[in-house]
This record gives sequence, structure tokens and C-alpha cells, in this order.
Amino acid sequence: MNNQMDNNSTPKITVLLVDDHPMVQNGLKACLAYYDDIEIIDAINDGSEALKAAMELKPDVILMDVSMPNLNGIDATEILSEQLPNTKVLIFSMHDSPEFVSSAVQAGASGYVLKDTSSEEVYYAITAVAKGNTHFSGSIAKMLIENPIQPEKNKLTTREQVILSYIAQGFSSKEVAQKLSISFRTVEAHRRNIKSKLRLESFADLVRYAINHGLVEEA
Amino acid sequence: MTLPLRLFYLAILQVIITAFITYYLVTNEYRDLSQKNVDALGSFLITQKKQELENYTSIAFSSIEHIYHRFDAQEDVAKSAIAEVLNSMLYNGDDGYFFMYDDKGTNIVHPKEPDRVGKVWWDLEDNSGNKVIQELIKNAKNGGDFFRYNWRQPSKGVSEEKMSYAVYIDRWDWMMGTGVYLNEVNQQLSDIQSEIDRHIHNTKTIILVVALTSIFIIFISGIIVNLNHKKKAEEKISELGQRVIDVQEEENRHISRELHDGIIQILISIKYSIEATSLFLKKQQVEKPVPLTQAEENLGFAIQEVRRISHHMHPQILDELGLSSAIEALVNDFSKQTSINVAVNKPSLRKLLPDFINTTLYRVVQESLTNIRKHAKANNVCIDLSIESKWLTLIIKDDGIGFDIDTQINSTNGIGLRNLAERVEYHMGHFDISSSRKGTITTIKLPTASFVNHFNKSNLNSENNNEQSNG
Repeated sequence: MNNQMDNNSTPKITVLLVDDHPMVQNGLKACLAYYDDIEIIDAINDGSEALKAAMELKPDVILMDVSMPNLNGIDATEILSEQLPNTKVLIFSMHDSPEFVSSAVQAGASGYVLKDTSSEEVYYAITAVAKGNTHFSGSIAKMLIENPIQPEKNKLTTREQVILSYIAQGFSSKEVAQKLSISFRTVEAHRRNIKSKLRLESFADLVRYAINHGLVEEA
Repeated sequence: MTLPLRLFYLAILQVIITAFITYYLVTNEYRDLSQKNVDALGSFLITQKKQELENYTSIAFSSIEHIYHRFDAQEDVAKSAIAEVLNSMLYNGDDGYFFMYDDKGTNIVHPKEPDRVGKVWWDLEDNSGNKVIQELIKNAKNGGDFFRYNWRQPSKGVSEEKMSYAVYIDRWDWMMGTGVYLNEVNQQLSDIQSEIDRHIHNTKTIILVVALTSIFIIFISGIIVNLNHKKKAEEKISELGQRVIDVQEEENRHISRELHDGIIQILISIKYSIEATSLFLKKQQVEKPVPLTQAEENLGFAIQEVRRISHHMHPQILDELGLSSAIEALVNDFSKQTSINVAVNKPSLRKLLPDFINTTLYRVVQESLTNIRKHAKANNVCIDLSIESKWLTLIIKDDGIGFDIDTQINSTNGIGLRNLAERVEYHMGHFDISSSRKGTITTIKLPTASFVNHFNKSNLNSENNNEQSNG
């Protein structure tokens, strides 16, 4: 809905900057200011604040740092892709190892640019993901070609693990939905995913699994 | 020599000295005292014997007195009557008898050696050279006295020490005497002496036993104290060592984070400022000056360099993505550098472990891979991280040639396996390593109790924030 035509000018791509370093944000803002077709609508300094702002502003693209207090960028991305499927997340980080990239992609990020790439490339990445494409920094792209991301079918995401923990503590899907402010159907979908990833059948299996792994304490 | 050990030797030395002094004093005192007692007893017994002899003599005299008076004139009759009486007066079995000689040494009565009767024994000497008969007669003439000499003891048939008492019968110029053999007294005294010796020996044994027991007790307690002391000291050293590592890891993590989240971010902001400047110049249609391009390039190097240092001090991935991903990253680098094939199995859950366990296990993998690269000549490595039945297990297995565990464990290179083993045990875990020509297996087990609920503590909070923000 942010992409709809507005009068006779081309609508600008709205961008939310999420980075816990105001200096980096300022530097980047100064650079991106030279590009007319994007607009930085806000700059946020931590993960959970970013979720709040994103819900409110519903930007086209979120430029997301990884290492942040409270909630890291990858976990925030996971929640955002669940809640705001139209908002694209572009990871903007210093971390360049494949594990970060694959975690980000699995969490639902549309692209991954390194902080030491030029602002020009950041600009291109923003426009690319806004169009629904993916974009990865040069070195990352090279790495992905050498070692393609193999989705870890059995590995739970942080979000799924949070839900498993709640379930194992005895909360119903409805209660979990309330706690996480998501729909009952989303919780149920997560629950199905968890069961299939862990190859477990029943509620009792889930509880036992969580206890055996030290995720929750034995009641 | 340690202080407790010195005290210990001192105590033993003291026991030995005390035992010696006690032994010396006790035995000497005892011997002195007993010698006096034996002497006193000896003289008492002799006195008693003397008294007895006097009594016997007076009894004998009174029993011959009537003959002495009756047979006034007939000396021969009296003599034989007296001989008859005295011959029958025996006491102390065979050994107590009376003898009689005239003043020329002629034997008149001798119940035990009748062949002496009628013969002259004036010059008779005992085996010590005493002129026995002369002395006895002299004593008798002087009013009666005791005399010691050696004489054949009838009951034994051998010469023994004898003490005799002799009196003089003036009327006929006869000497009458009787004696006791002193071997009885000597026997009594030597019995007592040997009893005393036995006591001294007993005392000696008791002192020896007490001293040895004391030394033994001191020795045992010394060993126990020493062992305890050593154990406590070792525990303290180990704990201190672990704390040093804790502090070091924490410090590393802190500096690494400062570099990554502080310095690098500032450098990046500078980089963007330079870029913004370039964009500005471009807009003004001014050519970008060369020094600015150089600054941009050098800034890039600086960022890479600081990143490298930061990563070396502490891998951020451990904090952000958890142990499995950190191991995966480590293994990727390792495989690239060594072309050793590494397979990694990881659990389905993530971020279950608190920082200290994460770091410890990460360092174990790091150290093991270093050892494999340096010594193992392996082609394949398998790292298996799993959680089952309330135990987290990390197994690192290679198909190399193995190594001498003792040398490797004590190696001072890097963090060292010994340190890591202690570290795992410090966190209530088990560390086991075994090596053969077919390869090396390192196994670490940690109870889930050491990290239970950690994920909830660190993740549900942020979710709650989220919940508030959404609510």
C-alpha cells in the first residue's frame, strides 16, 4: 500500500534504519539523502523498539543491524516477516560469515549488505529488495555461490523455540497467541512446524523434548 | 621443605628424644631403687638367718646341757651322748645340722659326713683358701660369731657358700656350730633381681610401644594433614585458575565488543561521511581529490584490521547465533585452511547455553582442531553436539594417528587441554580424551541442569518487551 501511485510524482521508497549506532545512521543518512527515490522515515536504536516502530510506520524496507541490545536483528527479522509480510528486511551488518547470512535468510531477510560496502550499493540494495528482489553484497554473493545456503530443516528458529518453550510450560495456543500478540492460527502453524521439524507427534512429546534439552525446567 | 613437613619431623624427633630420656630415667631410677631394696632385703635375710642360727644353736645347746652337767667326769660317755643328740638334730631337710670339733681341730660330731669324725681337720681350707676349722674355733673362742665359707651342701653334693655360727664349750674345749647354705638367700635375691629386670624390660617395651605408636600417629596425621593441605591448595589453585580464565574471557569479550560495536562503527560512520563528501563534490561537479580516495581505502583496511582483532579475541557469532553456528563458522575456516573434511551434527534447538558454557565448549573445539591440524594427520573430523536425556554431549573425533595424551595435556601452547578439562569439570561436567593410532576422541558431557531455562531467561524477556509494545 506504500507503493501505490500518489498524484503525479513517483512514490518514494520508505526506509526505516535500525542500528544501535547513531553515528553510523547519521553517516548513512547523509549519503542516502542524495538519492531522490528513497526516504528515511525514522532511525531506531534497538531491536524491540524497531518492532514497535515498524508496526506503526509499516515501511517498505527496513535496514537492519544484527548486533543490538534487547533483540538482535535476525530474531527481529523473523518476527517482522511473520507480522509484516509486505515489509522487506535488508540486513546491514559487519558480520560476514555464512552462518549469519543463512540465519538471516531463514529468518526472512531479503538481502544482506555489509556495513563496509559503499553507500551506493546500499542504495541499490534498498531499491532491489523494495522491488521484491534479493540483494547480497559482493563478497557475500561470492560466498553464497561457493557454499549455497542449505536450509536446516530440523533446526528451530528462535521464534519457534519461544513458542515451544511456552507450550512446554503449559500455555495453550490461545494464551501463546495473546502473549506474543499474534493470531491463534499463526501459533498453530508454528506448532505444526515445530512438530514436523522435531519429528514429534503429541503435546507430551513436545514437553518431554523441551525438558530433556534444558529448554524448560521440569515442573 | 614445607612448614607442615618441618613441624612433622620436629614432632617425631621430640617423641624419640622424650622416649629416650624417659627410658633412661625410668630404668636408672628403677635399677637404683631396686638395688637398694635388694641390698636391704639381702641384709635382712642374712640377719634373719643369723638369728635363726643363734636360735638353733641355743636350742642345741640347751638339749645337750643336761648331758654336759650329768656326765661330769666321764668325758667319753658325755661325748658320745652329745654326738647322738646332735646327730639327730637336723633341720631344713638335709642341710641344717650341727658339727663339733675340739680345740685341736679333731672332728667330734658331723651327721652328714661321719667319716670326718675322729680325724684332725685343723688345716682344712675351702676353695677360697679360708682355714675353715681354725676360723670357726677362733670365732667360738671369742664368744661366738658368724663365719662365711664354702662347704659341700648335702642336698646337692656340691660346694656352696655357707654361713656358720660357732660357740665354745669351755669345759671340754669344744667348738659347736651350725650353718645355713646361702644359696637359698642368693636364689631369692636373684629371683627378685630377675623380677626387677623383667619389670625394666616391660617398661622398656611399653616406652618403645608408646613411642612407636606416637610416631605412627604423628606420621599418619601428618600425612592426612599434608594431603588435606595439598588437596585444598590444589583446589584453590584450580579455582583461582578458572577465575583467571573467566576474567580473561570476559575481558576479551568486552574488548572484542568494544572494538566491534564501538571503534568499527565509528570508523564506518567516518567512511559514510567521506562518501557523503564525495557525493556532495560530485553534485558540485568537482572532481574527487586523490587523498580522499586514499583515505577511503585506508579506512577500509583499518576496519578489516580491527574486525580481525575483534574476532580473534572473541567470536561475536557465539553471542549472536549460539554455539552450533559458531562451531560451524570455525569448522568452515578450518576446512578451508587445512582441507580436512569436517562433519558437524548439531541439535535442533539454539541459544540454550549461557555464555560461560558457550565459550568453554567453543574453546574446546578450537583447541581440538588446533591439535588435529598440528599432530593428527587426519583426513576426517566429526563434531557431534547433541542433547539427550538431560545431558549435553560434545564429541570430537578424528581419524588421525593419535598423540600422547599426557604430553599434549600438559602442553603450554594455547589454552591447553588440561585447562579446558578443569574448566569443564568446574562447570559440573565430565571431560574425557582417548587417543590411539586410529585417532582421538574427546568427549565432554554437561548436565542440562547447568543451563536449564537459560533460553527463557534471555529470550522471553525481549518477547515480553515486544508484547508490551504491541499491546
